Amino acid sequence: MSTTSQAAFVDRHEADVSERDAARVWGTSARPLPDWFQQKRSRGGGLVGAWVPIVLVGLPLAVILAIVIYPTVWMFYHAFHDTNMMSLFSGNWQPVGFANFGYVLTSDRFQDSVSNLAFYLTFGATLQVLLGTALALIIYELVRPRWLQTLVLILLVLPMMMPPSIAGTLWKFLLQANNGAINHLLINLGLMGADQRIEWFSVDLSLVSLVIADTWQWTALPLLIVYSGRVSLPPAIYEAARVDGASTWQVLTRLTLPMLREIIAIAFILRFMDAYKFVDKVYVMTSGGPAQSSELPVYIAFQKGIREFQIGEAAAYAIIIFVFAAVLITLFLQYLKRVMRHQGVTS
Amino acid sequence: MPRLELDAVCKGYAHPVLDRLSLTVDEGEFFVIVGPSGIGKTTLLRCVAGLERLDGGRVLIGGRDVTRVPPYRRGAAMTFESYALYPHLTVFENIASPLRARGMPAAELRATIEAKTTLLRIEHLLERKPHEISGGQKQRTALARTLVARPLVFLLDEPISHLDAKIRHELRRQFHTLDELRRVATLYVTHDYAEALSLGDRIGVLGHGRLEQIGRPRDIFERPCNLFVAQHLGQPTINTYACALERQDDRVLARLSGAPEIRLPVADAHRVRLEASGLGQATLGVRPQSVRVDGADPRHPLRATVDVYEALGAQGILLGRLGSLPITAITPPEARFEHGTPVTLDIASDELLYFAPDDGRNLVL
Amino acid sequence: MDTNAKRIVVWLILIGFGIWVLFTLFPLYFMIITALKPVEEINRMVPTFWPETFRPDNFRGIFADPGSLKSLIDSVIVASANTALSLFLGTLAGYALARYLTGVVGENLAFFILSNRMFPPVAILIPMFFLFDATPWGTDSYWSLIILYLVFNMPLATWLMMVFFRDTPRELEEAAYLDGYTPLRAFFKVTLPLVFPGMVSVAMLCWIFAWNEYLFANLLTGTTVKTFPVHIPSFAAGSQTLWNFVMAFSLVAMLPPVILFIALRRYMVRGLSLGVVKG
Repeated sequence: MSTTSQAAFVDRHEADVSERDAARVWGTSARPLPDWFQQKRSRGGGLVGAWVPIVLVGLPLAVILAIVIYPTVWMFYHAFHDTNMMSLFSGNWQPVGFANFGYVLTSDRFQDSVSNLAFYLTFGATLQVLLGTALALIIYELVRPRWLQTLVLILLVLPMMMPPSIAGTLWKFLLQANNGAINHLLINLGLMGADQRIEWFSVDLSLVSLVIADTWQWTALPLLIVYSGRVSLPPAIYEAARVDGASTWQVLTRLTLPMLREIIAIAFILRFMDAYKFVDKVYVMTSGGPAQSSELPVYIAFQKGIREFQIGEAAAYAIIIFVFAAVLITLFLQYLKRVMRHQGVTS
Repeated sequence: MPRLELDAVCKGYAHPVLDRLSLTVDEGEFFVIVGPSGIGKTTLLRCVAGLERLDGGRVLIGGRDVTRVPPYRRGAAMTFESYALYPHLTVFENIASPLRARGMPAAELRATIEAKTTLLRIEHLLERKPHEISGGQKQRTALARTLVARPLVFLLDEPISHLDAKIRHELRRQFHTLDELRRVATLYVTHDYAEALSLGDRIGVLGHGRLEQIGRPRDIFERPCNLFVAQHLGQPTINTYACALERQDDRVLARLSGAPEIRLPVADAHRVRLEASGLGQATLGVRPQSVRVDGADPRHPLRATVDVYEALGAQGILLGRLGSLPITAITPPEARFEHGTPVTLDIASDELLYFAPDDGRNLVL
Repeated sequence: MDTNAKRIVVWLILIGFGIWVLFTLFPLYFMIITALKPVEEINRMVPTFWPETFRPDNFRGIFADPGSLKSLIDSVIVASANTALSLFLGTLAGYALARYLTGVVGENLAFFILSNRMFPPVAILIPMFFLFDATPWGTDSYWSLIILYLVFNMPLATWLMMVFFRDTPRELEEAAYLDGYTPLRAFFKVTLPLVFPGMVSVAMLCWIFAWNEYLFANLLTGTTVKTFPVHIPSFAAGSQTLWNFVMAFSLVAMLPPVILFIALRRYMVRGLSLGVVKG
């Protein structure tokens, strides 16, 4: 554009921005609009129609209805019927009341799996959060310089990024009794006699093996969350504590841990809910064995449903799991709601 | 022709933020709405802009009823208290936003923006992002964005309240000199009464959901229609005392309820009105500017004790006690008072204000 | 505590920490060297902790089976399609929840959607198995995985996008309305660019979860469609597992999530903690 025409534009905009001009732009006068002005018809009323948010949220709700609610209702229905492979395809299943539940709840297999789950939740989830918290604080407080901190963090979090099935496969390999790396590592380190072998996948230890593999992989999650939480704590508080002459222990127990309480709780809950539906490594590492010693309720439900086609019984398992999960999730979400308000994520 | 009309605008039901508020702003007029924080000033602007749905009443812009017109078709431009600059766009693109919305050709767009930014002295910042410029520069950018839009109505929400004093003053001067603002209608919202008095062609004092008083700055300051207005214009805040108006001989005296020994004469100019309203109880308003502080004279009827004295350079503010009643006075800069010293006060009786004790209306207006 | 004792405590802590680091890294190390060993060396009675023979050819060997490459492609297809779908639905719903449904109803709706991520999928998978089985294309198809992975990815995407949208000030959108943009144009001009980093991290998170998924894939598919976790057991000669191939293939397969994580770890924390921890 030449200087003169540019000047002309400037001139026009400086001198000629009259109220008439503005009225023209906004379409309130009968004079023609400038040709660059793309006029749009307005619908009137509010900003967007009330249907807009309903449709936007309706789409995922419809998906949830189709792939979550529908199957859950289906399971509820069949939990009270004697459905199996045959009756499912012939369409003649009979209502049996609470018989499925009675059978499941009184079976040794179910009761063993529940105690397995309790063991797993205690040593899997809880241990992981305690370890993760300790590791996170150690990295933050003791590892220097800063780039090393980042490096250590990435290295420790690597297992978490691994597909759980691969982690399971890897540990199944490492824990082989005869030529497994772990057994031989223990021998080489002198912790075990050269002729000794730990049978990691025996009746006594298979669940422990699962817990080891899972802890190896998932301690990283609480670690990462707590570390990030620690990084975002305001340094001013720590300076104040130092001025007051607080000891390291006091700073840890009176300042850091209380301030991280909510974040640690969230990490725990996330791990807990994941552990509750944990099943990948059971499939890959032990298939619930030997002699059903490492079965968890979710695993049995899958086996009953999709391998043995005992639909009614599987449904009873699923519903029992579902009910417990519903209670836990409700409690968790209540807590999450509070934490999010507290942390300013929601109003 | 009025440029902006609000006709019985309502917002909220149980405790309405805006309660049948009506207002007319003429073209070329700079109208300032002043009121304490949280009273609904921003809500009022947002209603005009179309960001809030009205619960009653109408908004007319340029004679067109826009009550049900969405904000992008109203012809109003607004600056937000937070500036609301798009953080991912450069200053240039921020200012270009309203022009791009309407598809202005690139060359014309650049010329327009260069002209406006030169005027506002931010032409050297065009390629920066909002987080790279100062508060004052952000404000100018936000202002430029509204100016280039060539709206029918400017809505300015506390545009300079969050800036430091020096820049605030500079921008205030700019508002005086911007021709664009003087050509269309401007609705300017602030909680700072000095800003209002300085900028407004007219001022409206917002309180209790409606405009308590509308008028020229001087009028509103000197002749507030009620106690609320008097309390919210003026710094330090006006002194108020419950008093009883009594006739004594041929004079009328205001006897302070908290300190019955103190009786202030009512000026002749006020006397007729007060007598017409039947005397009795009233709320007495004493502007700190109307109180003159002298040395200690034990024979003087108004003896006070100094609590705190703040020397502010251009003036001093004395917080004292008149009997048991607190009183604030403005003193000349050279004065010095120690805590606890007795002083005598002279109150200009023709500057006193009298308000009805029930609804707070000005009794001598 | 005097400084000497303090120093000892610090050293003890650091030693414990070092042991954990070794515990974490040893399996990864052993995985890598196993992938580089010939299978005969692996099957010896005493494992070697440093390969006597290096066999980098293993990484080529895994692709001798055409199923290997196909399984990776299948995984890419399933993970990408599911991510796109989750992100699309999640962005729309997250926006509506953050901007328009801000009351009690909207809040409970958001928590309800999130809760779907946490339920063990056992009550879902079995009926869906029979449902897909009844369709012409059966359980063993891309669609069954793409749709079923929505169970855990769509609630996550919705929830996180809601959190990210809440982080962007509403006033910016309103400023755009006053500039003359309709809500739709304002969304694309202002809101979308601002949540874009968040969207990328949500997409990556969803993609990793879908990529890593094993259970659904194992139970539903396996012939026509075979994602890589399901393919791994096929590296065997008779009953003998070919661990060198298993490990080499696993290393290849875990590369994408590891790279994504390292690149985006600062955003990941936010996503992994459901938006509570600002990374």
